[in-house]
Amino acid sequence: MIADNKIELHIPSVMGYEKTAMECAASIAKKMGFTEDRIEDLKTAVAEACLNAIEHGNKMDTSTKVGVTLTVEKTKLQVAVKDEGKGIGEIQPPHIEDKMEGKDKSRGWGIFLIKSLINEVSFESSPEGGNITKMVIYLEK
Amino acid sequence: MNKDIQISISQKDEVSILYIKGDITVNSGETIEEAYRKVSNAGAKKILFYFDKDGYINSGGIAILIGIASESKKNGQTIRITGLSSHFQKIFNMVGLTKYTEIFPSEELALKGF
Repeated sequence: MIADNKIELHIPSVMGYEKTAMECAASIAKKMGFTEDRIEDLKTAVAEACLNAIEHGNKMDTSTKVGVTLTVEKTKLQVAVKDEGKGIGEIQPPHIEDKMEGKDKSRGWGIFLIKSLINEVSFESSPEGGNITKMVIYLEK
Repeated sequence: MNKDIQISISQKDEVSILYIKGDITVNSGETIEEAYRKVSNAGAKKILFYFDKDGYINSGGIAILIGIASESKKNGQTIRITGLSSHFQKIFNMVGLTKYTEIFPSEELALKGF
């Protein structure tokens, strides 16, 4: 759905569909004039936010959807990823040493990557239920 | 066999090379782990992972590779990596995988002095 400067899509809560949202975001960022490097950063961040929503938010329940809203502004692209879940609480930053030694499970890099690659990120609860990951990437970092 | 990924294995002198074409994700993880264990069980001590420059790697795939790096450390193996795009070289560096593996810009350079 396209309304003015907003593009909305809904993907099934199935691993692999994050690539649809990722490619859509990349296509818009390319039109906006983002550099190839920043487009790659955006692709990873969007994919990881969708994966979190699919896996942790919606618990891979195929009756649920993940909503992705891309808002185009002159100097930035905003991406909101919404699930239908109850939230996953605070996640500690991962340390590879702990994972290498088996002290921590090897998963858990998604939020770390989003925070590392995107200019602004926030995690909110939606008033209608569900969680929203809001990300902003600027044309010039 | 996962349809998202294709892996072929070859041997050059003492180095076992895993040519990986496709996405590195949780879904393809088992296929990657199987290929690693195949060369590992055959006694490989030097392993080169040759990734697809256009492949998609997500956090689940990174976790799989960390698991392999951890196993290789216990097995006394050395892992080198090539074929990665500059973006995923940056990601591997960010997560710390480069503390346990070495990234090279080409197969030729990865094999040199291995």
